[in-house]
Amino acid sequence: MRTKNQKIRDFVLSAISVIVLIALWCAVSTSKPDFFPTPMATIERLVKLFEKPIMKVSIWGHIFASLKRVLFAIGASIIIGVGLGLIMGWNKKVRAAIYPIIMTLRPIPPIAWIPLIILLFGVGEFPKVLLVFIGSVFPILLNTISAVSMVDDMYLKVGKVYKANTWQTLHHIVFPASMPTILAGIKIAISSGWMVVVAAEMLASKSGLGFLITRGRDSYDVALIMVAMILIGIVGAALSIVFSFIERRLCGWMSS
Amino acid sequence: MASKDIKVQVNHLTKKFGDLLVLDDISFNINKGEFVCIVGPTGCGKTTFLNLLTRLIEPTSGEILIDGKPADPHVHNISFVFQEPSAFPWLTAQQNIEYGLKIKKKSSEEIKSQVDKIIGLLGLEKFRNAYPHEMSVSMEQRVVIGRAFALNPDLLLMDEPYGQMDIKMRYYLEDEVIRLWKATGSTVLFITHNLEEAVYLAERVLILSNKPAKIKAEKKVDLPRPRSVSDDKFVEIRKDITDMIKWW
Repeated sequence: MRTKNQKIRDFVLSAISVIVLIALWCAVSTSKPDFFPTPMATIERLVKLFEKPIMKVSIWGHIFASLKRVLFAIGASIIIGVGLGLIMGWNKKVRAAIYPIIMTLRPIPPIAWIPLIILLFGVGEFPKVLLVFIGSVFPILLNTISAVSMVDDMYLKVGKVYKANTWQTLHHIVFPASMPTILAGIKIAISSGWMVVVAAEMLASKSGLGFLITRGRDSYDVALIMVAMILIGIVGAALSIVFSFIERRLCGWMSS
Repeated sequence: MASKDIKVQVNHLTKKFGDLLVLDDISFNINKGEFVCIVGPTGCGKTTFLNLLTRLIEPTSGEILIDGKPADPHVHNISFVFQEPSAFPWLTAQQNIEYGLKIKKKSSEEIKSQVDKIIGLLGLEKFRNAYPHEMSVSMEQRVVIGRAFALNPDLLLMDEPYGQMDIKMRYYLEDEVIRLWKATGSTVLFITHNLEEAVYLAERVLILSNKPAKIKAEKKVDLPRPRSVSDDKFVEIRKDITDMIKWW
């Protein structure tokens, strides 16, 4: 546990680094404010964004649009990644059959899928969610596979002694024992999903934080680009904080 | 002893791994509700022996009967306490003790009354909701032992469960296991290489030889309980057993 003094010290240190960053930003931006807006101009743009919607969508609407896509995709990734991961981690034959495909699909960046997905599914909501899904399913799937295959043999033996059937073993032993690693996979998936949604929205969208960046570029509104980028960072960090909280609630039994 | 009182019959049990003979023609009986200790040198094949009894592996020849029928984990309740504490870290003390009963799909009233009884016997009321990482190793092992007794097993196998405990804790836990055994009427087979522990706990001690393991000798321990390790009779029995296995 951190003591109170350490907490104050850490807070002061992070405050200093933020102040230094803003000072640097000021120093760089004052020479060419048209290309690179000052912090003040960026804040003004943000305030204006609250007052004047873009494409009839408020700033909250844009944030929500991006979040919604990510949450749908992560939901699907959890269902498919954890489900398939449990089967693949548990059954060596299934793993042998499917693993090569997974290993080949995994390195293809989600952006490389965009042309194919647009050709197949157009530019609606589904293709964006699908892209985020592609960007987020692999960490969940791979973490689940390795967690399941590394469940401590001792726990499996206890299950065998009590004659738990396969379903009981998976439900009562393998799944809870794998939980910390699965949650770590979901955490990676959320951050990579959040990156992919912005990329997807930059290519074809009328809402979302990625769209705001494209809109900023098209209308030469650099401050809007800055605002959107900062919001992407803040929302991404918030997602990760919220998830860490959920993780602690679900895995309160872990020693650290 | 009338045959109806025999709970477990082990007949000519032999196990080979390839050409390696690990268990050589082991035969013995355990009576219903009896507490039997098996002592044997480390590496004498006792893990193999236990795995055979829990039917984790199949014997090369010979048979194990429980209540006169071939031991079948789906018919008989066999419980096991491993040497290392094996409480599930994601379950609380109470949930760990409930585990076997839930797997066997007992009714919730039965689970509750049985778990309350075990927790009472263990004196763990205050730690019902504690997770294993919040417990000492010995407390975790007590929870595991509670989990094993909670099932009222036909046969409870214990594989050096106190091997890692210091001597003071051992005395305490040994009394506790006797308390649980008496309260549940379970039949217990307890493996140890600590002779004093064997004499303290058992009604009968079986002495295994070096690999390939055979039953080398058997010693009845008919001392009243609670036993005292410094009692003359106790020391004498311990000395007898030591003499039987001196060539270790």
